[in-house]
Amino acid sequence: MHTELTTAIGTAVARVEKLTKSYGTGPGRVDALAGVSIGLERGRFTAIMGPSGSGKSTLMHMMAGLDSPSSGRVWLGDTDITALGDSQLTLLRRRRVGFVFQSFNLVPTLDILGNIRLPFELDGRRPSRDEAAWIDRLIDSLGLRDRLGHRPFELSGGQQQRVAIARALGTQPDLVFADEPTGNLDSRSGREVLSLLATASSEFGQSIAMVTHDPIAASYADRIVFLADGVVADDRPRSTPEQISSLMLALERHP
Amino acid sequence: MRPALSREQFPTILVAALSSSFGVALLEVTQALTLLVSRDDVTGSSHTVAALLSVLAVVFTAIAVYVAAVVTVNTIATIVAGRTRTIALYRLVGASSRTLRRSVAREGLAAGAVGSAIGAVVGAGVVAGGLAFAVRGRVIPALPYSPWHAVVVLPVVAVVLTTWLAAWIGSRRVLAVSPLEAISAAEERTLGETAARPARTATAITLFSLGTLLLVAGILLGLVSGLGVLVGLGGGILSFSGVVIGAQLVMPRALRLVAYAFGRSAAARLAGQNALRYPERSTRTTIGLVIGVTLVTMFAVAIGGFEAMVQAARAAQPETYQGIQPTLDATVAVFSVLTGYSALIAAVGLVATLSLSVLQRTRELGLLRALGFSARQVRFMIVVESAQLTSAAVLVGVVLGTGYGWAGAQSLLGSIAGAPGLIVPVLPVAVLATIAGAAAALTVGASLVPARRATRVSPVAALAIE
Repeated sequence: MHTELTTAIGTAVARVEKLTKSYGTGPGRVDALAGVSIGLERGRFTAIMGPSGSGKSTLMHMMAGLDSPSSGRVWLGDTDITALGDSQLTLLRRRRVGFVFQSFNLVPTLDILGNIRLPFELDGRRPSRDEAAWIDRLIDSLGLRDRLGHRPFELSGGQQQRVAIARALGTQPDLVFADEPTGNLDSRSGREVLSLLATASSEFGQSIAMVTHDPIAASYADRIVFLADGVVADDRPRSTPEQISSLMLALERHP
Repeated sequence: MRPALSREQFPTILVAALSSSFGVALLEVTQALTLLVSRDDVTGSSHTVAALLSVLAVVFTAIAVYVAAVVTVNTIATIVAGRTRTIALYRLVGASSRTLRRSVAREGLAAGAVGSAIGAVVGAGVVAGGLAFAVRGRVIPALPYSPWHAVVVLPVVAVVLTTWLAAWIGSRRVLAVSPLEAISAAEERTLGETAARPARTATAITLFSLGTLLLVAGILLGLVSGLGVLVGLGGGILSFSGVVIGAQLVMPRALRLVAYAFGRSAAARLAGQNALRYPERSTRTTIGLVIGVTLVTMFAVAIGGFEAMVQAARAAQPETYQGIQPTLDATVAVFSVLTGYSALIAAVGLVATLSLSVLQRTRELGLLRALGFSARQVRFMIVVESAQLTSAAVLVGVVLGTGYGWAGAQSLLGSIAGAPGLIVPVLPVAVLATIAGAAAALTVGASLVPARRATRVSPVAALAIE
């Protein structure tokens, strides 16, 4: 079931076509991605799942312009980013993409407000009035109001992830990438972070792509793409953790 | 923990080699000069000259070795900070923190021994070569000179021991590493490393105030007697000790002041924050350079003051002050080289610390790249960081050096025949320009390699580093 056929180009916020990535050459060559074609719908929360080594992180890095593919193409909106040079990719990441990583998300020397505003500072501009109002709203809804002057190390892991979410949503990017955003959190903080991401998508129409291997995390998404051995193995609409778990187990058993 | 010398120890070896070659070379030159003056000892003063030369050699070697030790404490502390996770892992599997600290100190001892031995050979070689060259050019007569003196063992041993001690002091943080740091997320938790040390602060302020009072007393006494310089010297040593001990109060403020001058762009601001992130480390990184710049400036300003006074006095009594200019020029040159050497050692330390700390921030720089910091912005940030450290050190050094140099000239010559009493401090333009040029070169040199390395890593690879 390949969704690029069902996703019209106009509604895809990002898509990849026949994407491959290999490391090394000769007999020691490893194919992290062996021809992946998918599209992500605008305004939706998509989970990319798969066991370790399935190529899900590699796929995310390609889509976010952090790494370049061996062959194939990547579009963000209407931009073919495979053709872009380093400085254009830098601008693209700064303006059109947001990131939430598993850990080490925040710049240790900046306080919370400084971290949230960092993408604007990198652009050498102040947030516009609308953007400032939006950031204010994010700060309140993420419960960070009384933490703005703190440094990252003074916050719990869950709070740090909320700051990363505020920063990622602050620029209203085309697409937010979340790489195992709950991997370092206890289950309660993890659920909170996942609800926040789901809300950002359902209420504000934010497109989100989340890489995870946790079935519970994936159950918060509108759609789940399964990767195994560098190819798309399955593609499902919203599912329960139980359904996702059994699919994952099946993937592990019949590679 | 790592018995072999790793590449991280290269700065320590280099600094040890620099200071030991300096000490050995100075002693060799002293020996040669002593031989030279005793050959035609008509005035019978060769013993005094020899003693004076030895004192000078010891004083300047001590300064170089001290600066080298400060530099090494800092390098080792930076290395230890970068190894936190490895140390924690060793603690996790049962190594005691004392054993680990001892092994870091042993690495320092090994680096000090290797560096000091290299330095001894280089120092003796350079002097022997220089003498042979001078003899061949008939600048000096052939001397019954041999580079093998028992006395050159002293600086070599002193460098090994101080490097060992410096490594021991620099490895203090090993004790504070908890085994948990090996398994928890590697977030920065050592912010605010500086604990308030009231006793240290009090000592620093007392020494500085007392020294400043003595300096003023020396200047006033200098108006009536040349002996004022002795009082002033005591005051200078006391107050400068106060500055070095209390550097943690001075340097972060100077850094903050300098940071404002570099603008408010995101890159410049982050650079300023980085320089202030570990106040203790930045202080140690810069204090060596402060000492070097202070000494160079001090001698230059003192000589400038001499000249101004002598010129004023010469205008009043021309016959008394004939032919003094070449002597003054030569003195400036010799002292600039002697003190400049300590500044060089400090500069090596600054380069090493900055490179190491950039290397340790690979992951953070990867995050910035992922978030849209361009490679250029990252490079700019590292250059600014380096520029802030050197500027702060030069600023403080020039201010202190001007004060001490002026006080020295004033207290020594305030009472000479025809002197105008109090003079305005004279900042010699040539020396200031040299210091500024060297500082600029240092800034670029210290940041070029780490900046290139930092932007060569792809953001993905940088983020994956533990």
